[in-house]
Amino acid sequence: MSTQPIDTTIYAAVTEAIQTEARRILSEGQVSAIVGYSAARRNGSAQPIVINQADDAAKLIFTPACVNNLAVYLTKAKKEIPKTGKVGIVVKGCDLKALSGLMGESQLKREDLYLIGVPCAGVLASTVQPSIELTSNSIAPKCTECDAHLPAGCDFVPDQTPIAPELERKYATEIARLEALTPSERWAYWKEQFSKCIKCYACRQVCPFCFCEQCLCDRNKPQMVDTTPRPAGNTAWHIVRAMHLAGRCAGCAECERVCPMDIPLNLLNRKMAKELKELYDHEAGFDVLEKGPLNMFTEKDDQSFIK
Amino acid sequence: MSTHHTHHEFEPKIIAFVCTWCTYAGADLAGTSRMQYPSNVRVLKFPCTGRIDPVFILKAFQQGADGVLVSGCHPGDCHYIAGNFHARRRFAVFRKLLEFVGVDLNRLQFSWVSAAEGGKWVEVVTDLTEKVRAMGPMTEFKELAMEEQWSGAINTPELKEAYNAI
Repeated sequence: MSTQPIDTTIYAAVTEAIQTEARRILSEGQVSAIVGYSAARRNGSAQPIVINQADDAAKLIFTPACVNNLAVYLTKAKKEIPKTGKVGIVVKGCDLKALSGLMGESQLKREDLYLIGVPCAGVLASTVQPSIELTSNSIAPKCTECDAHLPAGCDFVPDQTPIAPELERKYATEIARLEALTPSERWAYWKEQFSKCIKCYACRQVCPFCFCEQCLCDRNKPQMVDTTPRPAGNTAWHIVRAMHLAGRCAGCAECERVCPMDIPLNLLNRKMAKELKELYDHEAGFDVLEKGPLNMFTEKDDQSFIK
Repeated sequence: MSTHHTHHEFEPKIIAFVCTWCTYAGADLAGTSRMQYPSNVRVLKFPCTGRIDPVFILKAFQQGADGVLVSGCHPGDCHYIAGNFHARRRFAVFRKLLEFVGVDLNRLQFSWVSAAEGGKWVEVVTDLTEKVRAMGPMTEFKELAMEEQWSGAINTPELKEAYNAI
């Protein structure tokens, strides 16, 4: 498939709209802080920023290098922020799904947030070269399957409409390839992938849904999962991780992006999402659900696998 | 009662996670009724199938189980009203995950066995034991546990040479 450029010309206007809105809500005192993206040191790169002065609004940007899911700052690292008043947050569609999930799990309250939605045509897969052009090759795999280019239900969304071309769905293709293999071939594939893991837990650290005060995988009484970065413990960790995110994962693919060993972690999450869609017609979306698919049931659920 | 002791090359280890209210009582009924079933099964009693965490199944395989059985009350019969309904969804998803990772699902059996179904317990346990016996030992997780490799295999000639020189 030939490389296809992706139109990101609206991002300049989006940046301007975000800055104007941020300046307004900060100076009017509607929010005490805004979590957004700012330019980082390397040319074209971006980093998360928290601003609390109207003058700093000019620092906010939106570019294809704005890959982070900022929702994570509201659950873990910046836990204290929501308590100081309403917090503004810049969200792409995928990030908004994560926020909706967190609201559904009572981790956040909608009234404590001021959502600045971003019309997004896609972001980069890797920020190693942050200034490269966004194309069908350099785009994040999650963006090839995105159905949330325009966030809904936000307090503010710039007027621009993102132009998102139809791209080859990278995860769906890979899942189909793996499903066609035999179990032992699949085992060999994942064994190879998991053997790379160094147990840095970056995937857990960056995940908005891994907010447990104590992770099951850190407990040693009883120790359910080996903590050493060896094949047995690695496999167990990744299976447990995928299972604990099943029905909750919003598909922001941050786990996969931050993985220093390039393990295709989101592949497991997408597979779980696919199964939950087929079994219980559940999909991560903008709606705040009181209960996830694995916290509820119907009497007619499939039980063809039970004797 | 006649007992046949057939010698088998391979005796599989089967771990059964059962709920105390139905399947455990069902297995008990099988016992008090003097029904014969394979002694390969190790029964672990839980309050409810809803208490059986998927990680238990993973742990069982890692610790050397060749087959795992999860069994509880029929839908609607749960002592805690809805525990088995929740378990049903959880295990439906978990087995899909294991399948995707490459575990042969023939080694993992789910069943509903009520306190009155001693015969069904015998049938379920016998079927699973024979099925797993035919498949041979579960080697995948055991091999993982034996491996010392840390991050990536030593798969280049230069690395192998350096490794051997140590």
